[in-house]
Amino acid sequence: MTLNDRLLGVAALVFAAFLTWFGHDLEAPFSYEPVGPKAFPLLLALIIALCGLRLVFKGGNDVEANPPGANLRIASMVAALAAYAFFFQWLGFVISTALMSLVVGKLFGGGWLKTAIGAVLMGIGLFLAFDKGLDVVLPAGILGDLL
Amino acid sequence: MSALLDHLSIGFGVAFSWTNLLVAAIGSFIGTIVGVLPGLGPINGVAMLVPIAFAMQLPPETALILLAAVYVGAEYGGRITSILINVPGEAAAVMTTMDGYPLARQGLASVALSLSAWASFIGSAIAIFGILLLAPLLAGWAIAFGPAEYFVLMVFAFCALTSLLGEQPVKGILAAMVGLSISTIGVDANSGVYRYTFDIPNLADGMDFVVVVIGLFAVAEMMQMLEKLLGGVSIDVPKSERKLFNFKELAFTWWTTVRSGVLGFCIGVLPGAGASVASAVAYANEKKITEGKDPNAKFGRGDLRGLAAPEAANNSAAMGSFIPMLTLGVPGSGTTAVMMGALTLYNITPGPVLFDAQPQIVWGLIASLFIANVMLFLMNVPLVRVFASMLSIPPWLLVPGILATSFIGVYALNGTTFDLMLMVGVGLIGYFLRKMDVPMAPMVLGVVLGNMMEQNLRRALSITNGDLAILFQSGITIGLWVAAVLVAVVPPYWRYRTRKKRENLAAQA
Repeated sequence: MTLNDRLLGVAALVFAAFLTWFGHDLEAPFSYEPVGPKAFPLLLALIIALCGLRLVFKGGNDVEANPPGANLRIASMVAALAAYAFFFQWLGFVISTALMSLVVGKLFGGGWLKTAIGAVLMGIGLFLAFDKGLDVVLPAGILGDLL
Repeated sequence: MSALLDHLSIGFGVAFSWTNLLVAAIGSFIGTIVGVLPGLGPINGVAMLVPIAFAMQLPPETALILLAAVYVGAEYGGRITSILINVPGEAAAVMTTMDGYPLARQGLASVALSLSAWASFIGSAIAIFGILLLAPLLAGWAIAFGPAEYFVLMVFAFCALTSLLGEQPVKGILAAMVGLSISTIGVDANSGVYRYTFDIPNLADGMDFVVVVIGLFAVAEMMQMLEKLLGGVSIDVPKSERKLFNFKELAFTWWTTVRSGVLGFCIGVLPGAGASVASAVAYANEKKITEGKDPNAKFGRGDLRGLAAPEAANNSAAMGSFIPMLTLGVPGSGTTAVMMGALTLYNITPGPVLFDAQPQIVWGLIASLFIANVMLFLMNVPLVRVFASMLSIPPWLLVPGILATSFIGVYALNGTTFDLMLMVGVGLIGYFLRKMDVPMAPMVLGVVLGNMMEQNLRRALSITNGDLAILFQSGITIGLWVAAVLVAVVPPYWRYRTRKKRENLAAQA
């Protein structure tokens, strides 16, 4: 399936429907003003739907497909980032960052050894710089007692 | 005149504290690096630093100085790669490649670098002078704005941004509307109703703009970088040649620089048209002016004036784009929208009232912009080699570094896993939207302005008990509607006409 304007238009219509479905019954229990909480979102949904219709009818603008292998790499990076986000607090900044840097670094074509060294240094270095140096608190995670 | 001096003394009083000078220097340095690295532009750099500055508990004026220095620094940095390797480091430096790279090929790389730094500096200086003159006037005028005027002003800002940014305005409108709908998430301030929160407590306060901006500009950008694997580039700045431009070259480009600086400033003040538009217009304008008069002009083949024009214009436009944000509270570009979002983290609403209530922020920022420019000019001539060497950082080190820094920033806001997951989700959606040429700047503007826009609309309609006529009553609202329609219609029509003309020419040939 190629990405094109028609697909974008369909997505816009779905989004507009979503906004309308979850927005049409927003009512204020006590109202002091003529315009309630649902007017603005519904207005937006209307405009989004109009844009969507225009895109669906006009179509065209096929997006060039990614070079072979790119989609897999991108999907792997999204998975790595989701895992990074999920384990950020639990594993702590140093370990989770080192793991993420290793995976993402490999995806960007780094060699094993160099990437591994870089990843570990990155985890420790950024932790020292931000947590110790700049007072931006980062999670210590399972290394809690060591740090 | 005395008011002007008062403002300057307040401003320089703030800017000349040791902390703020140091912050301006650091910001300039980081900004230049951000500008040098392809794929990172001012908006990415500013977005990544917003939450970090906030988490470091910098006072608001200091944080704003840091962000502004990064912004201006990126405009300086973008030209380095344009000249040396013909790859613009950020969007506004595209025109700099036209004559900058040919000059470098002719062995004048260092001259081109120093002269373009000088042009950037003069452009910024002109813009700062313009801000000093224009900002208080605009703020004084806007102080009379009621909710209806504000609402229409924001409509105008959206029209300008969507129509000037892209070939397909419908996608710009779509982006703006999606941004505005993101801003409706959370408790409605007027009625206490929960909107689109789906009983998730983390969404009760709405989606943080930092989460959205970093998702769109850091995460999605890195995904796009993964499409084409690029190695680190090592480039040499030739050593044996003259480092600095000479007086003759300065005199040769002087009027071009001044003209382009003024032009860039005027374009930058308009919402929507930012540094990229300004540099393109200034280049075309200089080309037209000089080619008529000077038979030796060699634009596109290494003319120093073709180098000075876009650089003076993009820097003065970047500075000029602070005016709508500071004076009206309505940012005209993606980057200033992010800065405005940063101010709202501090519960500061930019706008005409700010000039009276917290003059130290406004004038401190403007004075710091000037100081940052002096620093950038001084830094950029001797340190070009250091900045250029940043390009040799391989992506397998750079990208994880950018991602980790983005995560640090988002985590610093609320310290929740939820925000991090949300950011990755936004990044994924942002990636697909980018693939389909949906512009990101209107979306950011929507997220930042959404609440204000809705509140002003509802307040205006409360005055008349729901009668829409209030939106068309005062002279200011009517003027703004007319301007909005003009800006929405004229540029696309103009583009359509030039395209038709080009097609006709092609058909004849």
